[in-house]
Amino acid sequence: MADDNKALAQGLKRRDPDLLDQLIEQYQYRLFRYLLYLTSSRERAEDFFQETWIRVLERGHQYDGKYKFEAWLFRIARNLVIDWQRQKKMQSLDTLTDPEEGSPMEFAAQNQPSPLHLVLTAEEKSGVHASLDRIPTVYREVLVLRFQEDLGLEEIAGVLAAPLSTVKSRLYRGLEALRGAMQGGTA
Amino acid sequence: MSENLHARAERLIAQERIEGISQSERDWLAAHLRECTSCAQVAQQMNEALRTLRAIPIPLPRGLAARTQFRVQLRAQEMREREPKRRLLWIMCAMSWALGIATAPYVWRAFEWAGERIGLPRLVWEMGFGLWWTIPALVAAAVVVLENLRQAHERDQAR
Repeated sequence: MADDNKALAQGLKRRDPDLLDQLIEQYQYRLFRYLLYLTSSRERAEDFFQETWIRVLERGHQYDGKYKFEAWLFRIARNLVIDWQRQKKMQSLDTLTDPEEGSPMEFAAQNQPSPLHLVLTAEEKSGVHASLDRIPTVYREVLVLRFQEDLGLEEIAGVLAAPLSTVKSRLYRGLEALRGAMQGGTA
Repeated sequence: MSENLHARAERLIAQERIEGISQSERDWLAAHLRECTSCAQVAQQMNEALRTLRAIPIPLPRGLAARTQFRVQLRAQEMREREPKRRLLWIMCAMSWALGIATAPYVWRAFEWAGERIGLPRLVWEMGFGLWWTIPALVAAAVVVLENLRQAHERDQAR
């Protein structure tokens, strides 16, 4: 695995076009899904998807192969969304933290349906799906990275540029919120 | 059964999925879940929710990968075309620094002479001499910053 990552890092440093094509194919689903969770908009997720890969091309030399490529990829995507949010709202980074430290992270616009809502059928919108839909973005993001993307805690900390303790605390709260939502309460 | 036991079980159910738990804790939890239906239900609900989270289907926009590959290739080509210009910039900087080192004693004397002629304190013309060295780096940095700003502007317009 480490050797694969090193080879990947060298390919990115060379801006190997075949490697980039292959990576885009390989990670398209996971990256798009993550962006959809962050932005709640298919159009915006598409834009950020393309921008993320342009950034990968431009900054490929910064990937050192120590961590999984996807963790680095998600971090680039997340930073692009945060930059866009900042430009859009002229909002300070402090408010893009988590609910216990200030305003909830607002990647997704408040008045738009969540990504889950967008992709689920009417039947699926009931039950567990609807419960997931009620979880704040800041918690859902870590749940997605941990349980959908199978990233380790340290890798998630790398994506979020947050301490490990923050990641753990968000995961515990996220699971609790998930359970609370499933029982019909508010997350 | 005491409240503490249920609280411990719920904590371990979450911890097992987030950080992992020790074998003894796993054994204790398994024994507790066999006896306690409410905690067993919590564990089952948690499993179900996580299974659902993993299985949610998200349809990809048609041709997204192909469009992205095309844009990335275009950008790569653009970067390759700009590469010689940037290399030239660094070569000029290197030459400038090399020339600066070679001529340093003369430039020092020139600054000293000019400083005495104008009547500047020694510290001021010495600082001027120091700043003289930073000029190539400042010019290179300005060119790079302007180039990056231009690229960012182009990207914004493209978006």
